Amino acid sequence: MSVLIGSAISAGASIIGGIIGGSKARRAKRKAARKLKRMNAKMKELEANRQEIINPYEDMTSLSGMMSNPMANLSVATQATDMQIEQTDIALANTLDALRESGGGAGGATALAQAALQSKKNVAADIEAQEKSNEDKRAAGEEKLQQAQITEAQRMQDAEAMGKKFVYSETESREMQQLNRLQNQINTQQGIKAQASADQTSALTGAISGVAGAASSYYNNK
Amino acid sequence: MENRNITTNLLIKQLLQSDNMAYVPGYIASPVDTEFRVLDKAYQDTGKQYAKIKTAIDQGKCGNCIEENNMLMQLEAAPKLSLEFLENVMSELSVVETSNYDPNNYFGFMVANCIISEKPGFSKTDGYDVMLQLLQNGTQELTFTGPIFDKPLVINSAALKSLLESDTSMVVETPDINISMTELLVESQLFDPKSIGEDKKLGADAKILETFILKFNGEPDYEIIDLGNGKGRNIIRYDMDKIEKKVTPFINAQVAGILSAEQEAIAAWNVYLSKGTSQEEDDQMVQNANAAGDSWSYELDLPLLQDKKVLFLEKYKEYFYKNYLVQFLTNKIPSVQKDASVFDLEQARQAKAEKLMSSTK
Repeated sequence: MSVLIGSAISAGASIIGGIIGGSKARRAKRKAARKLKRMNAKMKELEANRQEIINPYEDMTSLSGMMSNPMANLSVATQATDMQIEQTDIALANTLDALRESGGGAGGATALAQAALQSKKNVAADIEAQEKSNEDKRAAGEEKLQQAQITEAQRMQDAEAMGKKFVYSETESREMQQLNRLQNQINTQQGIKAQASADQTSALTGAISGVAGAASSYYNNK
Repeated sequence: MENRNITTNLLIKQLLQSDNMAYVPGYIASPVDTEFRVLDKAYQDTGKQYAKIKTAIDQGKCGNCIEENNMLMQLEAAPKLSLEFLENVMSELSVVETSNYDPNNYFGFMVANCIISEKPGFSKTDGYDVMLQLLQNGTQELTFTGPIFDKPLVINSAALKSLLESDTSMVVETPDINISMTELLVESQLFDPKSIGEDKKLGADAKILETFILKFNGEPDYEIIDLGNGKGRNIIRYDMDKIEKKVTPFINAQVAGILSAEQEAIAAWNVYLSKGTSQEEDDQMVQNANAAGDSWSYELDLPLLQDKKVLFLEKYKEYFYKNYLVQFLTNKIPSVQKDASVFDLEQARQAKAEKLMSSTK
C-alpha cells in the first residue's frame, strides 16, 4: 500500500477516466435510489388511500318480516246461516199461525217443530264445516309461511357467505397485484442500483490500478 | 442571495449555451492554463511525509508510535478516499448541466463545475483554481477559488459523504415532472388499457373511456359547436367530476413520491409549477421557467410546511390538467358515426331544447 503514497503524481488518463466513470456510476446509483424512494412513497400513498372493497351483499335485508299467513284469520260466514235460521223461525211461526186458524192438531205442530229443529242442526253443521275448512287453510298457510321463511333465511346466509368470499378474493387479488407490481419495480430499481454500484467499483478499481501503475513507474524511475 | 444565484446561474448557462467565449476577440489566441493538477499538488509532499513517519516507526524513534501509526494509516487510505471524494464531487456538480436545473441552487456549484470541467472562461488564466487538501483528521477538502466567489467554495469529504449517505444531495436535481405526468396519464385508468403501448405510454389515438363521457338520460350529452354557414357538429363533453374523482388518488400518490425528497419538490416548484406556465412555454424558454420572486428557498423553506405542500399539490394538479389531460378532453368528435356527422345547426339546437323540455316535463 505504501507504493500508493505519492503515486497520484501524473497518474494520467486512467485516473481521470476512472474518476469520470466513477462519478457517472455514483450519479446513476443515486438516481436509482431516489426513484426507488419515490416509488415506495407513491405506493404507500396509494395503498393508504385506496377505496374500500365494498361487500355488494352488505345492504341485503331479510324479507321474512314481511311474510305472514294470509289464511291465519279467516272468518266464518254466518250471515247466510243467520238468515236461514231467521227464515226457518218465520216459516215455523207462519205455519203455526195457519195451523191454529185451521184448527190443526198438536201432532202437526210437533212435526213442524222437529222439521225446524232439523233445519237449525243443518245450519250448525254448515258452520262447523266452514270452521274446519278454515282451520285446514290456516295450517296450510302456516306451512307455506315457514317454508318461505326458511328459504329467505337460506338466501340471507348465502348472501353473507358470498359477500365475505367476494371481499376476501378482491382483497387477496388486489394485494397480490400490488405486491407483485411493487416487487417488480423494486427488483428493477435494485438491479439498476446494483449495476451502478458495480460500475462504480470497477471505475474505482481502474483508477486505483492507474495510481498504482503510475506509482510503480515513479519508484522504478527513481 | 437568491437573486444572485438565479442571475449568475442563468448568465453562465446562457454563456455556455451560446458559445459566447469563442467569439470574444483575442480569447482564442490567448494562452489558457487549465492544468489545475489537483492530485499532483495534494500528494506532492506525501511521499516524503510517509517515508519520514515509516522510518521513525521502524527505528523506534516515536515510543509507542500510536499517532504515527494513525498518520500512516490515513496516508495509506488517502488515495482511495481522494478518488471517491472526487467522484462524489463530480457526480454532484454534474447536476448543474441538466436541462431543468434549478437556478436557485447556490451559484458556486455552477462555477465549480465550470472549473472542474475546464469550461472556457474558468481557467487558471482567468483567475480560477481548485485545490485538494489532505487534512490532519483524515478527511479531505476541495477548495474552489476565483473572481466570481465572495469567499472560496469549500467542500469537505466527510460532510459530503454523510450528506449523500443520508439520501440527500449537495446540488439539488430537479425531478422531471413531465415524465411523472406522462406516467400519471397511464396510471390514472382514464384510458382503455389497449391504448397503452409496450413502452407504457399512451398511443397517439388514445381516447378517454366511454364511462367518463357526460350523459343525459343515458345518451351522450354533446356540446354543439358552430362550424359556420349554419352548420354544426357534436363535441364530446366529459364528466369532470367523475374524472377528477378517478385521477385525484393517483395525483396524490405522484406528489407523495416527489415530496419524499422535499428539496426536489422545491426544485420542481421553482422550475415548473410556481408560475403556472405551460409545458410549451417551459420548453421554449432558454432560461427555463423559474419562479424568481416566487421561489422557495433551500435554506429557508426546508422542511416544507404543510401549507406549501398543499399548494404544491394544487399547482401540480393544475399543471397536469392544463398541459396533459386537456388534449384528451378538447374538441373530441363522437366515435359513433351518426353523432359525428355535420348537421344543420338550428335544427339540432331546436331538437336539443325540445328534448330537454320534454324530459323536464
